[in-house]
Amino acid sequence: MTIKTPEIESSKNDGDIELSLPLQQDLTDWQTGHEFTVVGKPHSRLEGAEKVTGRAQYSADVRLSGQLYGAVLRCPHPHAKLISIDTSEAEALPGVHAVISQNDQFDIDWYSEEAPLFSDQLRFVGDEVAAVAAVSTEVAADALRLIKVNYEPLPFVTDMDQALADDAPAIHDGDNRVEEDSEYERGDCAAGLQQADITVENEYRTQTALHTALEAHGATAHWSGDELIVYESTQGVHAIHGLLCEKLGLPMNKVRVIEQHMGGGFGAKQTLWKPTLFAALLSRKAGRPVQLLLDREGENLATGNRNSTLQQVKLGASNDGKLTAIKMTCRINAGAYATAGEASNVAGIFQHLYHCENVKTSQVRVYTNTGPAVAFRAPGYVEACFALESAMDELAHKLEIDPLELRRINYTGRDQTGDKPWSSPDGLKTCYERLDEEFGWSQRKAPSSEGSIRRGYGLAAHEWMAGMGNPPAAVFIKLNTDGSADVVTGTQDIGTGTRTVLAQVAAEAIGLPMESVRLLLGDTAIGGVAPVSQGSFTVPTLAPAVRGAGENLRRQILEAAALLLETDATTLEIKDGEIVSTEGKHKSLTVADVCDELAPQSLQAHGSRRANPTDTTIRPFGALAAEVAVDTQTGEITVIRIVNAPDCGRILNSKTANSQVIGGVTQGIGFALTEERMVDHNIGLVLNADLEEYKIPTVADIPTITHAEVNLPDLNANNTGAKGLGELPLIPAAPAILNAIFDATGLRFTQLPINRARVLAALQAQQETAE
Amino acid sequence: MKAFSYSPAPTAAEASNEKDSRAEFFAGGTDLLTRMKLNIVSPDALIDLKSADLPNGVSEQNGGLTIGALTTLRDIEQSELIAEKFPVLAQAAALAATPQIRNRATVAGNLLQRPRCWYYRNRHVDCWLKGGSDCPAATGQNQQHAIFDQSPCKAVHTSDLAPALVALNARVKVRGADGERELSIEDFFAPPTEDRRRETTLADDDVVLSIELPSDASHSVYLKAMDRKVWAFALVSVAAIKSAEGWAVVLGGVANNPVRLGPLEKALENTDASDHNALDKQHDKAFADAEPLEHNGYKVTLAKRLIRRAIEQLSD
Ligand SMILES: Cc1cc2nc3c(=O)[nH]c(=O)nc-3n(C[C@H](O)[C@H](O)[C@H](O)COP(=O)(O)OP(=O)(O)OC[C@H]3O[C@@H](n4cnc5c(N)ncnc54)[C@H](O)[C@@H]3O)c2cc1C
Ligand code: SF4
Repeated sequence: MTIKTPEIESSKNDGDIELSLPLQQDLTDWQTGHEFTVVGKPHSRLEGAEKVTGRAQYSADVRLSGQLYGAVLRCPHPHAKLISIDTSEAEALPGVHAVISQNDQFDIDWYSEEAPLFSDQLRFVGDEVAAVAAVSTEVAADALRLIKVNYEPLPFVTDMDQALADDAPAIHDGDNRVEEDSEYERGDCAAGLQQADITVENEYRTQTALHTALEAHGATAHWSGDELIVYESTQGVHAIHGLLCEKLGLPMNKVRVIEQHMGGGFGAKQTLWKPTLFAALLSRKAGRPVQLLLDREGENLATGNRNSTLQQVKLGASNDGKLTAIKMTCRINAGAYATAGEASNVAGIFQHLYHCENVKTSQVRVYTNTGPAVAFRAPGYVEACFALESAMDELAHKLEIDPLELRRINYTGRDQTGDKPWSSPDGLKTCYERLDEEFGWSQRKAPSSEGSIRRGYGLAAHEWMAGMGNPPAAVFIKLNTDGSADVVTGTQDIGTGTRTVLAQVAAEAIGLPMESVRLLLGDTAIGGVAPVSQGSFTVPTLAPAVRGAGENLRRQILEAAALLLETDATTLEIKDGEIVSTEGKHKSLTVADVCDELAPQSLQAHGSRRANPTDTTIRPFGALAAEVAVDTQTGEITVIRIVNAPDCGRILNSKTANSQVIGGVTQGIGFALTEERMVDHNIGLVLNADLEEYKIPTVADIPTITHAEVNLPDLNANNTGAKGLGELPLIPAAPAILNAIFDATGLRFTQLPINRARVLAALQAQQETAE
Repeated sequence: MKAFSYSPAPTAAEASNEKDSRAEFFAGGTDLLTRMKLNIVSPDALIDLKSADLPNGVSEQNGGLTIGALTTLRDIEQSELIAEKFPVLAQAAALAATPQIRNRATVAGNLLQRPRCWYYRNRHVDCWLKGGSDCPAATGQNQQHAIFDQSPCKAVHTSDLAPALVALNARVKVRGADGERELSIEDFFAPPTEDRRRETTLADDDVVLSIELPSDASHSVYLKAMDRKVWAFALVSVAAIKSAEGWAVVLGGVANNPVRLGPLEKALENTDASDHNALDKQHDKAFADAEPLEHNGYKVTLAKRLIRRAIEQLSD
C-alpha cells in the first residue's frame, strides 16, 4: 500500500506561520469537560531519573578530547581606566594555551551601549579585563595572577540616588539616566487624587537581588574545521546561536548551540554573556575545545541581577473602596550597562491590575557603577507588586475593608491600556475564589498573640504582562516505522519540565501513550527557531504548535487506517496507540500496524504557532496568601504557610506546575526576608559575591506551599488553553508576607528584605512611640 | 589558590617544630581552605594535624571533660555526655554551620577560625586586620559588626562554641616550642593588637591539644539569632549557665572576642528573674558601654532580649 502524505501542510509550512491556520482553527475542542488521557496528568519528568542519578549531561559536564579550562580576570575597581595590560608572563606559564585581552583588538561590541568587548573604560567591579585557557582551572587561576594590569581609578558612584546628583561622576556620557523617563497617563490622575476620600502614599525600596542559579553561566566551545559547536547553559539556544553568529561574523550554518539540561537561569541566561564568547575566542586561538564556567564570584558580579528600585506610590479611593487614582514614579538601578532581554516593567502592574480611570506612571533607569541588571523572573512585576500590594493593604486597613474584598471591589476584566477584554476575564476572580477556598481567607482567625509571638495573615494579587506566548514555533513530528514518534522542536528545557509537558501534548494530540513519544529539543541544528524561554513563554508558544503537528499526524494515521480497514476515517479514533472505531466495530489495529503497512515509507507532520488574537489581551493572573509568625522580642520571622492560586490557563501537568509554584514562592520568600546584594558605597565593592553572605532561603525557611489549582482553560489564548506559569508564583509572595507581618504586628515595612536589623529597629520604634 | 606542599604530621610535637610563618596547620580545612581560595592566606605548606597523635573525641576526666582538638562539631552535637552535662555546648555545636561542615569542622579549628567580616573576606580590601591601615567596616556596611569596641577591628568572633566555652570556664591545652601548657580560655582569646593582628594569644607554632571543661553545667542554654533559620553566623548569641556558683552570661557576635557580662552575672544573683523591670535595669547597665556602629544598633536590643530569654528559660 502507498499513501500520499497531505502536501498542504508540509510544503507550505516552512517558516510560514499562517499555513497551519486552517488546521488550528478546528482545534477548539479542548474545552472544560474534554476527556484527556495524558494532558493534565501529573506525569513525572522524562529526564527525572537521569537527573537524580547524576547521569544527565549539563553544560558543565561536557568533556571533549583535549579540552581546556577558561577563567576570567575582572576589574577590582568600580570605575577605572585601563592604562595597560601585559599578559606575557601568563602566556609563558606552562599549561596556558591562550590569553585574550584588549591587546587582541577584537572588533566586537557589547551591551546596548556598544562598548568594546575588552574596553579600556571599566565601569563596575567584575568588568571583564582578560580571559585565559589552560590545561586546568588551577593553572588558569595561576595565569590570571600573572597578568599585569595598570588601572587608573576614576570617580565612581554605586548608589542610585547619588547617581542622579548634579555632581555625580558620569558613567557614560550624560547624566546617568539610561533614557528619557517613560511616562504613561490615562484619565486625569491629579483630579482623581483630588476627588478621593482617602489617599495612601509611601516610598518603597526594593533591593538588588541575584538569580543564584545552581549552575553558573558558562559554555564549552569547540571548533571543528570552520564550524563552531557551543554547549551552553542558556534559556535560548537560538538566541545564543544568533548572537554568536553576529558577534563572530559567522554564517548561521556554521554555528551550532546545544543544551540538553540546565541548572537554572531565572532570566539571567536569556542573552549572550561575555564568557561564552570568550570560550569561542579562546578555543579558536588555542585550537582546542575550551570550557569556561564562571565561579560564584563572577556569577554574582557580572551576569545580571534584579535591579533595585525606588517607587513612590500614591493611591486615592472613595470611602466605598473604589480606586479614584493610582500614581507611581520609579527609578530603576540599571547598573553600568543596559543588557538585552525582557525589560523590567515596573509600571505595568499599576496600569493593569485594578479598575481605575486615572492612572499615571513614570519610570526611568539609572546607571550606577555596579554589575548590569538583567531580567529576573517577572522583571519589574516582582518589585512593583510589593509596592502596589502593600499600598492596597494599607488602603484596606484604613478603610476597614477586608483586603480580598477591596480587590474584588476594584476588579477589572479588561485591559485598560489597550481597551479590550482580557482573554480570560474571570481569571483573577477565579484565583480569588480558589485562594479563599484553599487558604480559608474568609474564615481566617483574627491576628493572634502568644507570648512574644504574633501571628497574622496577608495576601496579594497580580497579573503578568507576559505568559501569552508568541510565534514563531515550528514543530516537526516523525512517526517511526514502529509507531513511535519523535517530536522535534527548537526550544529548550531550562529545568521547568518543557520536555515532559510538550511530550504530553504530542501524545494526547496523536493518540499515543507517553512511552511512544520522544521529545527533542535544545539543539539549533535540529529544531526550528523557537523563542527564548523567558516571560513564561515556552508552553504557550510551543504547545499549540506541538498540538497542531500532532493533530495533523493523527489525521494522516487515521486516513491510512481507514484505507486499511476499508472504512471512513471519520469513524475512527486513536486511543493509546490503538485504532478504535467510534461505531463499535472492532477490528484490532494499532498505530504500529499502520506504520508496518506503510513501511518503508513513514508519516510526518508539521505544526506551527499562529499569531495571537488582536481583539483580546492574553494575561495570566494570580493571588497568594501567607500566614506568618513574628517574634516581637527577637525579630524572628517565620512563614507558617503559603497558598498560591495562579491562573495559567489549563494545567497541562499538575506535578510540574506544582514545582513552579514551590520554586517561585521560595524565591519570593528569599526576596522578602533574606536576599540582598550588598555594596559598600564608599569604596564601591560588592561585599557578598558568594553564597555565604548572599543568603538564599534554606529548606528550613520554607513552609508548606500549597498550589491551589485554578485550571481555567483559556481557549482565547491558544488551542491548548494553556498560558505561562513560570514567573507567576514569585510575583505576589513578598507583598503577601509583608502584609501578614503588618497584620501580626502593625508594622508596615517599605524596604526589602525584612531582616532582623530592620524588624528590630521597627519594633523598637513602635515600642518607643507606645511608651 | 597558590600551589602548596602538604605533609601529614606524625605528632603534635613534630607539627609544632616544623611550623614556620610560611606554613599553616590544617585540621578540617573548612576555614583555612576558604581563606586560601580567596588568597587571603597563601601558605607554602600545610601541616595536617589529623594524622598527629592529638586527642580526639570526648572523655570524662576527674570530674570534668576533655574534648580532643580534632573532635568534630558533629561529635559534640551527638555526644550524650555533652547533651546531658553541658547542654550549652551541645546546642552551640548543633546550631553552627551545616551538617556537612559540622562533620568536618574541628573544635580547635572552630575557636581559631578567622573573622567572616565581608571586608576581610574580600581579597581586594587591605584592611587593618590584614595588616593595612584602616577599617572600612567602621564607616561602611557594618550590620554584622561589633557593638563593643575592643580594637581598631570591628569584626566579631563568629564561633558558636567560643561563648559556650567561655561561659564554661574552659581551659585550653597547648603544645608549643617549650612543651605543653594549659591556659584559661579567657587568656586564649584576646582582641587583636597593633602587633598581633589576630583574635587569640597563641604563638605561631602552638598546637591546640584539647579543651578541658572543669565542671558540669547541666542547667545551661545557648541561643543564637540568625538571618536565616539555619546556616548563618550568629548576629548575636548568648551562652548562659545557672549553677550553685551563680550565673554565667557570655555573648557571641558582638565583639572581637566573646564578651562575658560579669557585672550582670553578679547582679543576677540578687535579682528576681521574673522581675522584668529590675532585669531591664541590669541590662541597661551591662550595655552602657556598648558603642554600636551606624547599622548595627539592633544588636543591642537583640542581645538584651536573648539574654532575657535565656534567663527566663533557666529560671523556670
Ligand atoms: C559555610 C560555613 C558556615 C559556617 N558556619 C559556622 C557557624 O554557624 N558557627 C560556627 O561556629 N562556625 C561556623 N563555621 C566555621 C567552622 O565551624 C569552622 O570553619 C571550623 O570549625 C574550623 O574547623 P576546621 O577543623 O575545619 O579548621 P581548619 O580550617 O582546618 O583550621 C582553621 C584554623 O585553625 C588552625 N588550627 C586548626 N586546628 C588547630 C590546632 N589543633 N592547633 C592549632 N591550630 C589549629 C588552622 O591552622 C587554621 O588557621 C562555618 C564555616 C563554613 C565554611
Ligand atoms: S572589621 Fe576588622 S576584619 Fe573587618 S574590615 Fe575592619 S579591620 Fe578588617
